[in-house]
Amino acid sequence: MLKTMLALAKMQFNQYNIYKSNFYLWTLNRIIEVIVYIFVWQAIYNQTGDAGGFTINQLVTYYILTVSIRPIALFSINSDIAYSIRNGKINKELLNPISYFQYCFGVNLGEMAFALVIGIATFVICSVFWTIILPANLTSFILFLIVIMLGIPLTFFIEVIVGTVGFYSSSIWGMEILKDAIISIFSGIIAPIALFPMWFQKIANILPFKDLIYTPINIWLGQVPTNEIIFVILKQLIWTIILYVIAKIFFNYSIKKITINGG
Amino acid sequence: MTKALDNIKLYFSFLSASLREMLIYRLDCLVGMVSQIITQLVEIIFIWIVFQNTENLAGWNFKQILLLYGITLISVALKTFLFDGLYELGPTYIRNGEFDKILLRPVHPIISIIGSTKEFVAFGYLVLGLIMTIIMFIELAIPVTALLIIKIIVFSICGAAIIGAIDTIFSITSFWTHRSNEIIWSFDRIYTFAQYPIDIYNKFIKILITVILPFAFVAYYPTMNYLGMDKYMLYLSPLIAIILWIIAVKLWDLALKKYRSTGT
Repeated sequence: MLKTMLALAKMQFNQYNIYKSNFYLWTLNRIIEVIVYIFVWQAIYNQTGDAGGFTINQLVTYYILTVSIRPIALFSINSDIAYSIRNGKINKELLNPISYFQYCFGVNLGEMAFALVIGIATFVICSVFWTIILPANLTSFILFLIVIMLGIPLTFFIEVIVGTVGFYSSSIWGMEILKDAIISIFSGIIAPIALFPMWFQKIANILPFKDLIYTPINIWLGQVPTNEIIFVILKQLIWTIILYVIAKIFFNYSIKKITINGG
Repeated sequence: MTKALDNIKLYFSFLSASLREMLIYRLDCLVGMVSQIITQLVEIIFIWIVFQNTENLAGWNFKQILLLYGITLISVALKTFLFDGLYELGPTYIRNGEFDKILLRPVHPIISIIGSTKEFVAFGYLVLGLIMTIIMFIELAIPVTALLIIKIIVFSICGAAIIGAIDTIFSITSFWTHRSNEIIWSFDRIYTFAQYPIDIYNKFIKILITVILPFAFVAYYPTMNYLGMDKYMLYLSPLIAIILWIIAVKLWDLALKKYRSTGT
């Protein structure tokens, strides 16, 4: 099963890799995106000598890491699922000898791998222009990686839930944009959660999104005590199980109920 | 001159044809508008957080930045509505060979392409942009005179024309890549730099958005005029729009001569 999933991932990765220009353009896009954020905070720092308790190098590192690892939080396999449902391709995919979730997860991994290669390129190029803080020690780097990897299945199940809406509506891109907006705000993609007002931080603490971006980057920056990281991981696991159950029930219910357009 | 006018007339008849086509899908249209507003709200929340941490940004306060944002959105809405057909050039027209048909029409191909827009969801931007602009004028106690309204209309159109011309220039890459929509998008979105005071940027980016890709003339200089921060820079906007369009059309014609059909 794992082998099949990895093969699927590799196939998907290669499919993206055909278009070398994708690689350069997407890297360029990520850099364009980070520029505004960095200059805005630099301006504030130069004016007030403070940016929400962060040093300016920490904030710069924060944003560069954000655009580099963002695909873990924002992914769009949901549109692939919805597309399969709409044109009947899902019939064939359901007949695959591996389960549909495993199939999608394999494809998802391939796309994510490609996006992460772009992320690494973005990170390296940005490090030429700005001073980036490296992880305090090897332990925080490894914990950073662990927390990030635990985010992958979490995002995946959110994607499945959004994609399953495709059984009921032919245009799910409105849902997708809403999902992206919620995750962008609550995961800390637009700004570190610590810079938000208190009431907002309380909401963000309960939701799972914060641990996709904000927490791993803070681990990188050495801002999270090691004993707290255990709770972070525990919270992630609980949320993953909750989302898995919801995705499974929702998908199985929908697939039984709906007849599909003959592909 | 009459030829140019004929072309523009034809452009608007293309536009109304695709508007009617789009209105068939009312629900899609509505979902599109709402989701565009949501995407913009994310950016506005970013600005709000910024101002939780500071009183002013390079001399601009929260409300002034939101006015700049609103004015930019109006131009972007017009640009999306008028010119985003360009995104289809590579993937829809050139790759499928549809472009060869367009070349046979007695109208400049740019007109056919931009007239084929389906981006009526841009009304989402327009609604949000107008609401923000009106609220901020009231909040900032700036009297909305007839002159101001005329200025906003004229310079918003100029702004849309500037972004549209830049998009048109980058759409030329479609002739070789057959899928340039991503290239247009990458350069088009640099307009977001000019949604903030340009004094926050370093010299390179200042030159980039005032000279190389003059997005600062889309909304930044006009807004400075409305706010009384600057008097004359905005009057360069129409001039820049015209110059950019002349460059865009010339480059397009040059590229057309080298164009080889994909033969599909």
